[in-house]
Amino acid sequence: MAKERNDNQENENEESGGKSIIEKIQQLGQTSVAQAPDSRVHVLSIIGQIEGHMQLPPQNKTTKYEHVIPQLIAIEQNPKIEGLIVLMNTVGGDVEAGLALSEMIASLSKPSVSIVLGGGHSIGAPIAVSTDYSFIVPTATMTIHPIRLTGLVIGVPQTFEYLDKMQDRVISFVTSHSSITEEKFKELMFAKGNLTRDIGTNVVGTDAVSYGLIHEVGGVQHAMKKLNELMEQRQATLNGELQ
Amino acid sequence: MILYTPLAAEDIFPVEATQFEAHQIMQYNGKTVQAEHLGNGMYRVHQLMSTDPADFLDENCAPGKLFSL
Repeated sequence: MAKERNDNQENENEESGGKSIIEKIQQLGQTSVAQAPDSRVHVLSIIGQIEGHMQLPPQNKTTKYEHVIPQLIAIEQNPKIEGLIVLMNTVGGDVEAGLALSEMIASLSKPSVSIVLGGGHSIGAPIAVSTDYSFIVPTATMTIHPIRLTGLVIGVPQTFEYLDKMQDRVISFVTSHSSITEEKFKELMFAKGNLTRDIGTNVVGTDAVSYGLIHEVGGVQHAMKKLNELMEQRQATLNGELQ
Repeated sequence: MILYTPLAAEDIFPVEATQFEAHQIMQYNGKTVQAEHLGNGMYRVHQLMSTDPADFLDENCAPGKLFSL
């Protein structure tokens, strides 16, 4: 029986040898994939819409918070993981899911660095600033705008107060995790005439840095360099505590 | 046809439940993947959910990979 199974496996291997190149081209558009040893840096990609309680249609690219949160716990617990890079290309999404992710990243004991690639819009802004150090590529943009609500809205003054309070949570998170002032952030958020028929501002790479929202303009190379620096610092302080 | 509305697209054109059912989150090769059910027990990897960069170099979990359960 065992031998039979081996034979079957060999047959499968032989078959896969022929078609695997075609499969690889179909999957990745190339024939060989680079191999790497275990990495002490983990990568969290925040891509597409941030999905909260409402499940989005499967054709949408989504970041599901119920998956990201356990991954962040695993990163915090696993001693082999020493740092986290957060790659951002998001259009925003659920405010509370976004704030949950931001708080999780901000409360990690391990160093974290974020790179905003393409876009870090809306609730992407708190996630981008939640890391220890943040980068934005020169072509990336971040849309800062007031929060909004879809679905059933009850037309009472309390609804406005509820939205206002939710907005305050976003503002206070961003201002306490970046060097942008509350006045400036609110000014960007409620600016008129920048977005077509909408309130808010589309902040481009270098401007995000000049407003103090993001630490530095830079890409992967800069982010890795900074993260290695932070990891060494953390290691040095841990060693110091042991002695 | 252009609809000018503040509503989300899925509020106007509801998504069929079967579309949600076709995509499942499952364990494959010890990794969490979102896979599309193709019928006959065959699945296609849609998205790999991992933070380990090495997982993304594993050909067995690359998006588009077909597997059966």
